[in-house]
Amino acid sequence: MLTDYFTIALRSLLKRRLRTYLTMIGIFIGIAAVVSLIGLGEGLRIAITSQFGFLGTDVLSVQAANVNFAGAPGQGAPNPLKEDLVDQIRKINNVEAAFGRYIGSATIEFRDKQKIEFVMSVPDKEDRKIFERMMNLKVQDGRLLTDQDARGVLLGSNYHTGITYGATFDRPINAGDKVLINNKEFTVVGILENKGSFIFDDAIMMNNDAMIAEGIKADDGTVNIIGVKVKDVNQMEQTQQDIEKLLRKERDVKVGEEDFVVETPQKALESLNSTLFAVQLFVTIIAVISLVVGGIGIMNTMYTAVLERTKEIGIMKSIGAKNSTIFTLFFIESGMLGMVGGLIGILLGMGFAYGLAYVASLALGSDLIRASISIGLILGALAFSFFFGTVFGVLPAIRASKLNPVDSLRGAK
Amino acid sequence: MRLKLINWDEIKYALQNLMHRKLRSFLSIVSIMIGITAVFTLVSFGLGIQDYVNTLATQAGTDKLFIMAKSIGAPGTDTSFYLTQDDIDFVEKINGVQEISGMYMKPAEISFRDQKKYNYLAGIDMNNIDFILEASGDLNIEVGKQLRKGELGKVVLGYNYQVPDKIFARGIKVGDKVLVDSEQLEVIGFYEAVGNPSDDANIYVTKEQYELIDPSSKDRYGYVMIRAASDVSPKVLADRITEKLGKYKGQEEGKEDFTVQTFEDAIQTFNTVITIINGILVLIALISLVVASVNIMNTMYTAVLERTKEIGVMKAVGARNSDILIIFIFESGLLGVLGGIIGVGLGYLAATTGGSIAAAAGYSMLKPIFPLTLIIGCIFFAFLVGAGSGVLPAIRASKLHPVDSLRYE
Repeated sequence: MLTDYFTIALRSLLKRRLRTYLTMIGIFIGIAAVVSLIGLGEGLRIAITSQFGFLGTDVLSVQAANVNFAGAPGQGAPNPLKEDLVDQIRKINNVEAAFGRYIGSATIEFRDKQKIEFVMSVPDKEDRKIFERMMNLKVQDGRLLTDQDARGVLLGSNYHTGITYGATFDRPINAGDKVLINNKEFTVVGILENKGSFIFDDAIMMNNDAMIAEGIKADDGTVNIIGVKVKDVNQMEQTQQDIEKLLRKERDVKVGEEDFVVETPQKALESLNSTLFAVQLFVTIIAVISLVVGGIGIMNTMYTAVLERTKEIGIMKSIGAKNSTIFTLFFIESGMLGMVGGLIGILLGMGFAYGLAYVASLALGSDLIRASISIGLILGALAFSFFFGTVFGVLPAIRASKLNPVDSLRGAK
Repeated sequence: MRLKLINWDEIKYALQNLMHRKLRSFLSIVSIMIGITAVFTLVSFGLGIQDYVNTLATQAGTDKLFIMAKSIGAPGTDTSFYLTQDDIDFVEKINGVQEISGMYMKPAEISFRDQKKYNYLAGIDMNNIDFILEASGDLNIEVGKQLRKGELGKVVLGYNYQVPDKIFARGIKVGDKVLVDSEQLEVIGFYEAVGNPSDDANIYVTKEQYELIDPSSKDRYGYVMIRAASDVSPKVLADRITEKLGKYKGQEEGKEDFTVQTFEDAIQTFNTVITIINGILVLIALISLVVASVNIMNTMYTAVLERTKEIGVMKAVGARNSDILIIFIFESGLLGVLGGIIGVGLGYLAATTGGSIAAAAGYSMLKPIFPLTLIIGCIFFAFLVGAGSGVLPAIRASKLHPVDSLRYE
């Protein structure tokens, strides 16, 4: 019985082929736009949110409060964190390690070409290993820093391949090359693996002491950010509260007036994520407009179909078809229009998104623009297009089901 | 070429046909209307921002340029590079520099009644206040007084501080005391609204007060404003300053730790970015017009099919192929125009509503404008989309064979 519905619906769609194609084009353009935009948006969001590197669930970061969107974490805060806080945090129960980090900027020069970049510090001694694990630091060339590297730097992958090298330097920088940082000579000990992050892939990393020695970070007893690793993840919340309590006491502020932030990396990403999500939503809404227009196309086609098949409906009714049967028939027909249109649209959208990401990666030499199309998105788009087809098919189907059999047989308009 | 391309009978005929299949015409008009609404709204915002920027450029004057210390990240957060008073004194002597002023700027903590916020603090050399205000787009004090030269213990705030719940729960009034980086200051005035939440939250003190708040920043300027003399073009002056200051600081060409930019260039760059973003959004909105055009095509093909017999009759009584062609193109063009007119109306409503929502959120710079060219352009474009999508169906109609058509069931 159910297969009959589908056969009849398919047959009537194929009978007026041109109109069916045009209606489906309307839907698949819309779906393709939505799928590719969401896919590219997701990709961009993943790319941006992976910029900040501190991963893992057992990590907390401590920063002084600052103006919104102030660039690198902890840079230029009005009331920076004192260095001695690090030792005090280390003494807190459940804290495995705590270290201060500096973030500054400097010029980097290689073969007479120069640019300005972020410099990030790498903590020394036993904290170094923890930091390297935390950030998942690996080199593709050379080695990581050691405590002895007073004049050594690690460079992000973009100096070796990618946009920074292409836009600024004549040739890729390799491990072993000499570069000038703030006009002083440093040896590149290693090139980091590509992290797909425009902050880390462009970064210059050097030892804490080197940054102070070179004056990239003022020697004023402050740190830009404190990284904390906890022993027991289950007590994370308690540890966070303990650190907050300590900082409130040290900085003399009351509950609710904190001029600092203690947060997990996930938490830090959430606010950025919500901003990006709002932008993505806005763009998607504009794209969905075209789907609505496509839906109206379905409605139009179905109304025409009802009109054309008035006589046919009359015959079906006179040999015993119920109102609900007629309704289901038309309903399935419009749903099919939506779904097939959606299917083609998804394929086109995926092709477009991946194609654009590929072209962009060739042109920019960075994988900032990439597509991420999940199964959820595909199924969602498919369900959505079916839903659209049926929603816009409901009114025509109701009209068809309510036709008076006698009038219809007579071919009344 | 016939002069009378369309006569009254043809218009009447087209209208009758559209009225005859009311529902279908209505749906086609709705689909093009939706697209035009979206495009009209987005473009009106884009034009509005451009207009705002251009007004700013004219007010700030085209004779300004500025030197910025190289930095990365948000302005004022990276103080690795700076210009000194000595650099400024040197630039002042360069031929073509009429006025010059260094500006201090950094993020600061401001607290009022136990609430703390983080906003930008600017230290102004009051000797040059007129010049600085002019370069900021003719910004004036709206409430209270301006700072006096060398005045300590006083602060002037951006517009939003007066508004309750915008920055602080309670609005600040002239005479109130605030803490800026734990320095107690008396509020003596407020600037008028700039139109974006960041600038309207700025804190202004004298250069001398700034140096008390942040002693380490003394003589370290991140930003220097310059007025070019009337007999030199700012672009030429920018190059001259780059060359001379670079030499003075002993920096090779291309390795300077500062950049000199004319105001116009900076504004142009901003404008380009806005135009590109707006262009992408409009492009996405245009997709819906493509879909609408497919819908109209569909409607028109159906109309041709339904009226096969009618076309046959018309041809039998002497209608030429071109007559049939024009009738159908006109009909679909009419669908487009009607959709365009309603779409422009709805777009106007959507844009004004959106504009007032943005203004309420502190972004009064997001103000749509509706030049006549945009209105007419959108309606004309809708006509083109309509007529264009009618071309293929109209060609099919015009090529129908009269005898076969008459026989068509």
